[in-house]
Amino acid sequence: MPDETDIRKPFVDFAGPNGTYYADTFLSIQKMTLSRFHINVAALVGSFIWAALRGNWALFVISFIVDLITLVNIALVYKYSKAAVDNAEKSYLVERYEGWSQTHMIAAILVFVLGRLIFGWLADRLYAVQYERWRINRKVNSGVVASRLLVALLTFALILPLLLYRTTQFSPEERSCIRQDRAITQGEEVVFKKRFDCYFIGEFPTLFWIDRPDEISYPRGEDGNRIVKRTPPRADAPPVNLNTYTSQAIDDSIGYVTVFYGFLFDGITQILRAMLTAITSVFVGTPWPIMMCVLLYVAYKMAGIRTTIFVGASLVYLALFGFWQTAMDTMSLVVAASLICFIVGLPLGIWVGKSERGKIIVTPILDVMQTIPSFVYLLPAIAFFSIGKPPGILATVIFAMPPMVRLTALGIHQVPENTKEAALAFGANPRQLLTKVEIPLALPSIMAGINQVVMMSLSMVVIAALIGAGGMGYVVTEALENTETGRGVLAGLGIALLAMMIDRVVQKASKARRN
Amino acid sequence: MTQDQSNGVVVTRNVWKIFGDRAAEAMEAVRREDLSKAEVLERFEAVVGVKDVSISVDEGEIFCIMGLSGSGKSTLVRHINRLIEPTSGEILINGENVGNLNAEELRAMRADKIGMVFQSMALLPHRTVRDNIAFALELRNVDAFTRANVAERVIELVSLQGYGDRMPSELSGGMQQRVGLARAMAADPDILLMDEPFSALDPLIRRGLQDEFLELSQRMKKTTLFITHDLDEAIRMGTRIAIMKDGAIVQTGTPEEIVTQPADKYVADFVAGISKLKLIFAHTVMQSVEAYESNGKPLPSFDDCPQASPEDDLDVLVGLAINQENPIVIVSDSKPVGVVTKDALLRGIQGEV
Repeated sequence: MPDETDIRKPFVDFAGPNGTYYADTFLSIQKMTLSRFHINVAALVGSFIWAALRGNWALFVISFIVDLITLVNIALVYKYSKAAVDNAEKSYLVERYEGWSQTHMIAAILVFVLGRLIFGWLADRLYAVQYERWRINRKVNSGVVASRLLVALLTFALILPLLLYRTTQFSPEERSCIRQDRAITQGEEVVFKKRFDCYFIGEFPTLFWIDRPDEISYPRGEDGNRIVKRTPPRADAPPVNLNTYTSQAIDDSIGYVTVFYGFLFDGITQILRAMLTAITSVFVGTPWPIMMCVLLYVAYKMAGIRTTIFVGASLVYLALFGFWQTAMDTMSLVVAASLICFIVGLPLGIWVGKSERGKIIVTPILDVMQTIPSFVYLLPAIAFFSIGKPPGILATVIFAMPPMVRLTALGIHQVPENTKEAALAFGANPRQLLTKVEIPLALPSIMAGINQVVMMSLSMVVIAALIGAGGMGYVVTEALENTETGRGVLAGLGIALLAMMIDRVVQKASKARRN
Repeated sequence: MTQDQSNGVVVTRNVWKIFGDRAAEAMEAVRREDLSKAEVLERFEAVVGVKDVSISVDEGEIFCIMGLSGSGKSTLVRHINRLIEPTSGEILINGENVGNLNAEELRAMRADKIGMVFQSMALLPHRTVRDNIAFALELRNVDAFTRANVAERVIELVSLQGYGDRMPSELSGGMQQRVGLARAMAADPDILLMDEPFSALDPLIRRGLQDEFLELSQRMKKTTLFITHDLDEAIRMGTRIAIMKDGAIVQTGTPEEIVTQPADKYVADFVAGISKLKLIFAHTVMQSVEAYESNGKPLPSFDDCPQASPEDDLDVLVGLAINQENPIVIVSDSKPVGVVTKDALLRGIQGEV
């Protein structure tokens, strides 16, 4: 048997003051003999002060929040009972305020009692966890240190007054604050309390106002060419905030680019339209019996008989309910968008996978592309390319490209280092390394990328109907506008079948390739 | 260790490799102050991988580099085909400085002159055995017909007939390593670099592959650098052995030299558990006839004594000594050149000669 004091020594070292109590408690926690109702009385009474002294910030936050909620509720009791006294002549208001006051009183008591009890119960258990971490890392807080109390009290002092003030006051309206702002700029005197309220307990204040920028238009000059025309704002026009100012600047630059470099966007539009026309002529131009047979054959070759049956049934649904033409339209859009995603995304992905700099440059752009809501893509697409199918394709490409780049990069990155080393040892040059080793080994990942691209293209193409891309999405938006629920449901089902069809075929095909 | 450094097929001269962002700085400091590995790590956050290694590998020999993991043996061998660039020092292959080759010459040398076998096999999983074997040829744009012929010939060499059209994943570990070996031999290189080729295999399969490789090596006469962490393997395979520790070479010599004259305690500890039966030969343990007779015991007539030649190993001598009263007489050109007593034999088995 090891000496009893030896066993208790680390606990005492850790806890410092009152070490024997903590040694007993931690020992019984380790032996699993701690009473189910064990409560640390010091913690129960001392609350966040105890937690701060002991340096356990998780416990500090818990007790701090319990005490804050209690205090806020008491403040609310005060606020409503005062309001009840102030509005003594309106009996219905008195009744309401007294009711609220009572509710908050009960809440305050409940939170305080229950919260403290739970905290006292948690205290030793979480403190034991801190001890375990301290065993591993001696930098973890131990003992009792007075300076921690200072931090705790400072936090309390910073948060509590404003919070209590906020709860006891009725917050000002945004509009009255703006009015007050203007009044101040014109030199009027405003009571300090009102200013304070607007700045600290209302909405985030507009810190600075900016003079309205010049209005810019691009009329044709005398020689028939576009010129930039600036009109200064009216003298009495009110200033604007940062948001209005910046969005105006963005609008102006987009306007400038579209007016003076419009040929660029027209060129892109032409290329996209030509590409789409070619693809559409295949899908829509081919007589439906031939197209249907081709689709079934492709499904059979790529994914086997079961998928083909499903594809056949889906095609029959689309045809019988009159969606054949629109579905083929949508297919053309998906194929066009996916093709562009592949052509651009594959080299980009290889670059990201192989070069650290490529990763640093491209990854944040992809993050932005993926986090911006898909509807937001539609706006710049319209701004630069107006409405129709080409901007629809572009918005789709931006939405659907990230997985292509990411999965290609992942695949390239995951090629084992020793396989690459072996290829180099046998004299591979960089091009051979890429085409004979890296791309073949990354192929499963690349195929997964293509699958993702196709699925995301389909979902975005439907949304792109909002800017005139047409196809199945158009039927849905039309039904939405005219509240034709039945038509909408049928078209929605058609889109789902289309998606499932494409997904099954592409997925089975990529799986077959992997094996 | 004082060999002529310029005659070998593969020669390294004072090769240093220091890893880390501040390798050049660390190298300077090491030259000036002779720092230890730990000091370099502390002062420059750089790791000394290879420390002033000079070796010379002769044509046709199997040169084993033996060391524990982290001793720098894999790093050293990767300098030879410049998969790793030395921080300092130079590597010569057939007298030509590898460091002076441009990218294209380097690729040509890797493809034509040097074959490499990896512990992890590192086969290409999407290619058949045949295409894996012919990989080096394909990289040099050799036509498909020649490739297939060469591959078929090498497949036979490593006894994988009939597996040419299989995928690597269909093969067992031992067979996969045969493919690795075949791939290294396909371009008929002068030099083989073998980076712990058999370490990942089961003992029995390892043994079989070692024997096959030895037999193959005697036929093909390839200059081989063979890396291993297993002293038994080094002794079985090596014409000569270099023992590495902490990036530096501690001792170079034939297996017998290593076992009988370890350069320091590190090597001695290594060889302590090794069976000497096949490593020590009669000429090492014998004493001259005069020395034997000076102990006052006349030698019995030769016909009553068992006889052996100086090149017989202890295993043979033990076989002769069993059920024998008389000492073994070592005979060369039908003349007695020495005597091995039972005491000397037992000492020899202990490794103390």
